[in-house]
Amino acid sequence: MSRFLQQLINGLSIGSVYALMAVGYSLVYSIMNFSNFAHGGVIMLGAYFGYYYLTKLGLPFFVAFIASALTTGILAVVIERGAYKPLRERKAPFLYFIISAMGASIFLENIVIATIGPTFKSYPEILSRTPIQLGSVTLGRIDLTMFIISAICLALLVFFIDFTKMGKAIQATSYSVKASALMGINTDLVIIVVFALGGFFAGIAGVLFGMKYTVYPQIGIITNKSFIAAVFGGLGSLPGAVVGSILLGIIETMTSGYLSSNYRDLIAFVLLIAILVFRPSGLMGKITEDKA
Amino acid sequence: MNILEMKNLTKCFGGLTAVGNVDFGVPKGIISGLIGPNGAGKTTIFNLITGVYKVTDGKILFKDNDITNKEPYLISGQGITRTFQNIRLFKKLTVYENVLIACHSNGNYNLLESVLRLPRCRKQEKQLKQKADDLLEIMGLKDRKDLIANNLPYGLQRRLEIARALALNPELLLLDEPAAGMNPDETAQLMTLISDIRPKFDLSVLIIDHHMDLVMGICEKIMVLNFGCKLAEGTPQDIQNNPKVIEAYLGVEG
Amino acid sequence: MDLYYIQGILMLAGINLMSVLGLSLLTGFTGMFSFGHAGFMAIGGYTSAMMTVNYGWPFIPALLMGALTAALMSALIGKLTLNLKGDYFCIATLGFGEAIRLVLDNVQYFGGARGWPGIPNYTNFTNVLIINIIAIIILANIIRSRQGRNMIAVREEELASQIVGINVFKYKLISLMISAAYAGIAGGLMAHYMTFLQPKMFSLVKSTELTIIVIFGGLGSISGSVLGALVLTSLPEILRSFSNWRLVIYGLSVIVIMISRPEGLMGGYELTPSSMKKLFTRMRSKKGNLPKSMEGGDTL
Repeated sequence: MSRFLQQLINGLSIGSVYALMAVGYSLVYSIMNFSNFAHGGVIMLGAYFGYYYLTKLGLPFFVAFIASALTTGILAVVIERGAYKPLRERKAPFLYFIISAMGASIFLENIVIATIGPTFKSYPEILSRTPIQLGSVTLGRIDLTMFIISAICLALLVFFIDFTKMGKAIQATSYSVKASALMGINTDLVIIVVFALGGFFAGIAGVLFGMKYTVYPQIGIITNKSFIAAVFGGLGSLPGAVVGSILLGIIETMTSGYLSSNYRDLIAFVLLIAILVFRPSGLMGKITEDKA
Repeated sequence: MNILEMKNLTKCFGGLTAVGNVDFGVPKGIISGLIGPNGAGKTTIFNLITGVYKVTDGKILFKDNDITNKEPYLISGQGITRTFQNIRLFKKLTVYENVLIACHSNGNYNLLESVLRLPRCRKQEKQLKQKADDLLEIMGLKDRKDLIANNLPYGLQRRLEIARALALNPELLLLDEPAAGMNPDETAQLMTLISDIRPKFDLSVLIIDHHMDLVMGICEKIMVLNFGCKLAEGTPQDIQNNPKVIEAYLGVEG
Repeated sequence: MDLYYIQGILMLAGINLMSVLGLSLLTGFTGMFSFGHAGFMAIGGYTSAMMTVNYGWPFIPALLMGALTAALMSALIGKLTLNLKGDYFCIATLGFGEAIRLVLDNVQYFGGARGWPGIPNYTNFTNVLIINIIAIIILANIIRSRQGRNMIAVREEELASQIVGINVFKYKLISLMISAAYAGIAGGLMAHYMTFLQPKMFSLVKSTELTIIVIFGGLGSISGSVLGALVLTSLPEILRSFSNWRLVIYGLSVIVIMISRPEGLMGGYELTPSSMKKLFTRMRSKKGNLPKSMEGGDTL
């Protein structure tokens, strides 16, 4: 029983960070209907920014946190302006967006390899590595921090989407970009905000990941799993992204706890294919009928 | 005799009934019309006949065969073909390629024969290309065969879409607002074209259009649709004098 | 640079070209993107190596066995996922490619993640060249047949294809299977060139690289794919010191191509004797100033 509880807690912790990343995928998908594969690269850079703000600039922990989140927020918007906006203006088919996103993702990953190098970098010890003991269950301080910060961020996002004017504009635009533009919503601004939000959370997630593991250029590959989580929950649905992420986190830790950690990644991709085959709209996505 | 029979045809989108309990027969060998105000469900009926939408309830019979909810490509293979309200050509391909692709149903050489370029493949390719050339000649598009379809003037794009439909040797041709966006001159040309090809290709035709002079001028039978239900059917004279139709189109005074 | 070195580079380019040709049919002519083609290469590579190493088969039948296995696998994947709309098919192939790699990581029979050494060195310049020529001829023949034109129609407009009687699902499946078979052969060639296989060789980056080559060469152009594979494989090999920046430039150029010249290098045109002649006469008579509407594609 305690092993189960332990895995559950680990799953919740990792799942909450997946959720932080997955909302970035889902936000963009809900408005622009394509999978923004550059998001993984942004998360990876968030981890690097956090590392440099902490070690080279010696910023205090929370300042470094916010600073890297702001940096990646701006970066995400720059990517949108450079790689997607020209396509939007030309009304290019959605496949061009995916390819452009893939290009951006390859670019980001490899510019880090070319300039900083492929080596691992570890964060300075911010939190003590001694875990908190709760009965038979151990609770890592970093895991706890990950969970709390992610939960706060997600709560803020929900508040923003549901209670602010811009949040309402995002909701409206996700139903129909065209109609929203006709109703006087500045959809270009909405898109900027969506990328900035996604980038902001990507930065936070990146720093959390860097603290938990280490920083290296292929960290973006781990972030693919948050994308799987977004598909699992239903692309374009924010609650879906969160639920999908938590579930994926738990399934993963259960797999490594009860089967073998070798199957941890495999199970995620098998789950992805299974979801696509049996319920492509995900747990909470909407199904649409094509109009002729 | 009717070539196409709709029986109790119904289509719902969620809670909205787009087409409700429509019974209608399309007679063989003449031009029929389908009219009605915007949103009456005309195009939905075309989408149901051609299998683009799934039927909620009811039946569609073509030459007494049940074709309800068959895949669109199978329905096309049975001899029903259509044009679209918002023209759907292979925009980036040439005029010639558009028609040639539609001619494919006349060939049946297999993939291995293509890979090895066996005689049957060469022979049939020649026939398909000949047929495409002939059709372009008949439809007056021959001198533009190498143009990209999207660069054709609007009226000719409509004409090309009809040519492409004819390449399939249809028995029933469905035209969805063929005269949309045309001036009176072009509409008159289109009327002549439709009246010409009907006997030449031994077709039955069903037209949706808003141009009353076109519909009344060339259709021998008309069905009027309003809010997804059949309002009236009959000859153009019957329709013109039907008080319910006048009410739907003009509203009642007082 | 001696002859041996150049031959080595050309062989690498040829092996890449083989899977690029297959992907070109799927992406350039049928309009479907795959981010899992490295997975089909892996299946072809491991199957053919198993045939030559464990069962003592000759090279060519082993290659064909690899192609067949990859094609069958693709048929299975295709049956399940080809009905998915746009984005979702890409995602499914991505999932498939990664899953194959992760499964191979765990199959100890093939050496698992450590890899599988000692595969005979059967691949040579001559057989790579001949196989590629045959592959190009087959592809060109398919494209100028009714099957190939149906695939092009599917790429252009699915609904209109259905209406003109094309079984969209069937032609997508055929295209996917042929393309997987090509990738399978490429995998087999690679296995017997490197004499070593490791799941890591077939990662997502490899799949993306193949897609980039197809886009770079131009969607819907066989000669573009050939040029793309030759240029993009050999350039970084020649400019060794440059290799760290190779993928940086790849990534950047993909974005630049998408926003400025999405039709790629060849833009749907083919380099054939007749098209060259046409181009020259055009340049002589009208100084190349033809309106865009007069440019006919030579893809059919």
